[in-house]
Amino acid sequence: MNRSRFASLAAVVTLLSLLLTACGPAATPTTVPPSAPPAPPTATPVPPTAAPTPTPEKPCLIIGALYGGPITDAGYNQAMHDSVMAIKENIACVQIIEAENVPDEAGATTTMENMIAQGAKMIIATAFNHQNPAFELSKKYPDVIFEHAGGWMMGPNFANFFGKPPDTWYLMGVAAGLMTQSGKLGFVAAFPLGWTLTFVNAFTLGAQSVKPDVQTIVAFTFAWGDSAKEADATNSLINQGCDVITMHVDSPATVISTAESRGVYSIGFQSLAAQQFAPEYWITGVGYTLGGKLTWLASKVIDGTWEPIFLRCGLADGCMAIAPFGPKVPQEVQDRVNQVRADLEAGNIVVFKGPIVDQDGNIRVPEGEVLTDDKMSAVDWFVKGVIGSPK
Amino acid sequence: MRETTPFFRSARLWQKWIDSVARYTLMILLALALFGLILLLSGRNPLLSYRDMLKFTLGSAYGFSEVLVAMTPMLLTALAVALPSRLILINVGVEGQLYIGACCATWAALTFSHLPAYLLLPLMALLGMLGGALWALVPGYLKARGIVNETITTLLLNSVAPKIVSFFIFGFWHSPVDTDKTANFVPAARLPTFFGTRIDLSFWIALALLGVFWWFMKFTRWGLEMRAIGGNPQAARRNGIPVGSYLVAAMCVGGAIAGLAGMAQVSGYYGLLLANFSRGIGYMGFLISWLSFGDPLGILLMSFVVAVIFTGGNLLQLTQALPFAAINLLLALTLFVVLARVRFPAFARGKAS
Amino acid sequence: MTLLSVLGVISSAIFSGTSLLYTTLGEVITERSGIVNLGLEGVLLVSASSGFAVTCRTGNPYLGVLTAALVGGLMNLVLGYVVVTRGGNQLASGLALMFAGFGLSALIGKPYVGAKIHGLPRILLPGLAKLPRLYTSLFQFDMLIYLAIPTAFLVWWLLYRTRWGLGLRAVGESADTAFASGRNPWRIRYQALFVGGLLAGLGAAHLSIAYAMNWTEYMTGGRGFIAVALVIFSKWHPLRAIVGALLFSGAVAFQLLLQASGVKVSPFLLDTIPYFLTLLVLMVWGGTRRYAAPASLGRVYHGTES
Repeated sequence: MNRSRFASLAAVVTLLSLLLTACGPAATPTTVPPSAPPAPPTATPVPPTAAPTPTPEKPCLIIGALYGGPITDAGYNQAMHDSVMAIKENIACVQIIEAENVPDEAGATTTMENMIAQGAKMIIATAFNHQNPAFELSKKYPDVIFEHAGGWMMGPNFANFFGKPPDTWYLMGVAAGLMTQSGKLGFVAAFPLGWTLTFVNAFTLGAQSVKPDVQTIVAFTFAWGDSAKEADATNSLINQGCDVITMHVDSPATVISTAESRGVYSIGFQSLAAQQFAPEYWITGVGYTLGGKLTWLASKVIDGTWEPIFLRCGLADGCMAIAPFGPKVPQEVQDRVNQVRADLEAGNIVVFKGPIVDQDGNIRVPEGEVLTDDKMSAVDWFVKGVIGSPK
Repeated sequence: MRETTPFFRSARLWQKWIDSVARYTLMILLALALFGLILLLSGRNPLLSYRDMLKFTLGSAYGFSEVLVAMTPMLLTALAVALPSRLILINVGVEGQLYIGACCATWAALTFSHLPAYLLLPLMALLGMLGGALWALVPGYLKARGIVNETITTLLLNSVAPKIVSFFIFGFWHSPVDTDKTANFVPAARLPTFFGTRIDLSFWIALALLGVFWWFMKFTRWGLEMRAIGGNPQAARRNGIPVGSYLVAAMCVGGAIAGLAGMAQVSGYYGLLLANFSRGIGYMGFLISWLSFGDPLGILLMSFVVAVIFTGGNLLQLTQALPFAAINLLLALTLFVVLARVRFPAFARGKAS
Repeated sequence: MTLLSVLGVISSAIFSGTSLLYTTLGEVITERSGIVNLGLEGVLLVSASSGFAVTCRTGNPYLGVLTAALVGGLMNLVLGYVVVTRGGNQLASGLALMFAGFGLSALIGKPYVGAKIHGLPRILLPGLAKLPRLYTSLFQFDMLIYLAIPTAFLVWWLLYRTRWGLGLRAVGESADTAFASGRNPWRIRYQALFVGGLLAGLGAAHLSIAYAMNWTEYMTGGRGFIAVALVIFSKWHPLRAIVGALLFSGAVAFQLLLQASGVKVSPFLLDTIPYFLTLLVLMVWGGTRRYAAPASLGRVYHGTES
């Protein structure tokens, strides 16, 4: 009797899983997991078993890459994943082991230990919370090279690499300032993080350079990837009259889809894939394209000439890319934005050049000075014209 | 089906043990088969997956140490449920008590960071336990006075606790170069680790507490009286046992153990306080305690099984490209199979009020 | 505070409260039959992911909504098998269901992370079309939002005005008495779980298909537990659930408005207010009439047990 009840439980569960996995159209003949139509080139699947399979040729380098969120998020993690996969495209003999959704430090330690146990000689850690554990492990494994995205620590076998987003944010601000009618821009942000505040500030300064009385309203979600809260925040900003929305969260999908559904302009960040969510009200966007530099770093590891360098590269180096303009952006706006881009690259415009005044009227960057990179990472104030609390 | 003698007091103890081990093994095999089917449906090889898991968790020293690390908070949270459950108190609130304990311990770690470890660690543990106990006091008191059921209040407080932790992190302990966490604790605020692994002091403390719990229930007058209340509260009251005080005290001690688990998480495992760090450790403790009838040895075994599954899941992400969260399914299937099979007499009668 | 900002808060609250309301209504039905489902979080996740997956594959959001609802019902039936047929403990089984939901939804949703869907279309009520665009954009809702409050009335009618509802509540009060008067507690509880799951599935569908238009792991962010709290807050009554859901989501919307006005109030403390309010309400009722929970909530019905 018990056996039959077990059998019926098994049947229920099986039925359920069958129903769920077979929900797609009949196009997929096998039970291979279906991939979503608009999904970008997915990860080259890691060979099912790691160690003992007799591979035809030994990989010249095994790279372990870990991400804080899902690698198909059309946002930060996807941009990082695409950059890592560019190594594989350029150097065929490398093998890449990936782990997504590793948000916290303790989990990152386990994951990196596992990767090293699988033979990884280079670790690319891409989330904010990976920096400390990666740095600690770099002391334990001196023969493994650690590259971390967007941090500041350095060691004999540990270095940091990243793009330089502030200039591009200024550019986005120019575009937003030219497109807004209400004079209110909405910014959905994850955390009151130094870099995030710098992005908001650069965006606002850019907008004010073309429309001096523009305001940017900031709403924090306090999570890198909480879609429901992002929808809450976007709706709230739109309800307060914002007619251009942008964001600094992991995935732009929800924010841009929400803006689009309410007929409000949006500006993307993190990955160029963000544009697909706004076929109509897209202005433009910025994405990280670090594949070239990562390939270079990996080649250095392979030929044994890798040295720890603090790598920051911008638009001109090909580490950041600007997305195409949307259909509603007039030609004169596009021309103006491109002009500013040329000025930024030529050094005619410096974003954080004094005097810069904060929300309360205090001078934060005096006349004749420029905010330096390491100060940008610890900014705890908003420029005048931003509405929201910087803490 | 309805046994009335407690599990571990049976005369033919070993016979029963072998029986139940065989029974549980069968159930776990069934769960493995079900999950294997789901793996197969999603295009992965279940046999290779299980081989990877076992080889990593039980076949390597590092993997085994990680299993013990993952086991530690579960031992503590399960104990935090097991103790009140002897009075038929249902402490679903471990999740919240864990957060508050972690929060209080963090306050000590950040405020008294200049103290040496031998003062700072006990202080953190004490504050963590105090925080957890206070968080459990409210439900315990309301239950003892017969005002509100402890299940309902602990559930509500579970939703509040992580928000209070976030309030402190973002309101006071947050620096612009950090996201959702405090700065790293000073070395003096970290629990000592052993054998060059991440196994820390809290593992041994958890084992010791399990032993103390067993001894306490079996050999002390309090344990005897608690068994009497658990058996028949009305009769216990007539015999002059202060039932109300016992209820409040048991909830608070349970809360204190949960708070200690929180302290161990921030001081041992993470070395900092992270917003929303738990994601269900407290609920897992509830399940483990429940499935092992609150029996210390059962808690040990059940936690071990759960820890093996979790730790193995981390590897499957690398070798089988299986989402880490998917391992929860194997866990849940194991739990379902056991739940659907076993009835615990005291609980099966429902929530006695 | 201008009229527009007040209307804005109301609009935001309606948008984000809809998924809560459906889920709460579902839980009201199951708890009225004597079963508390702590696994609601998992049910929501599986419904949200499968609804999103179907919407993405077929391009039809209505099919997605339908799938999400059915999957919610099926998930609840799994719980039903464990707690009704096998007599497993409700709290533990519910939590196990939650963990199952974490895992299953991650597997189902994996290929669809970051995928683009066409969400449920937004429809403007005919009378409002003449208002300025600023206002019409506030009250351009999707079908599930328009149906939410009618559904609450429907649930009320089902529970209080039909024979089925009478039987369901009778089982929730005392399965033994209900059995003695010729009802089948097992069947009624299975039915309640299925209907409750359907409603929870609708809530999840609104979250992933209409509101966030995205799937991410753990995206429900505790909404399942909020719904359990809301059931208590609304005293197991479907119409009070409307107030409860709007209060919870209104608090979030209000907090975002404050944040964007530069007012320095911790959003986290504001978020806790509804919970403390619920606790307070419970304590006040607790003293007077034993809070209106169904009497056999959480108990296993063994049949002829004395």
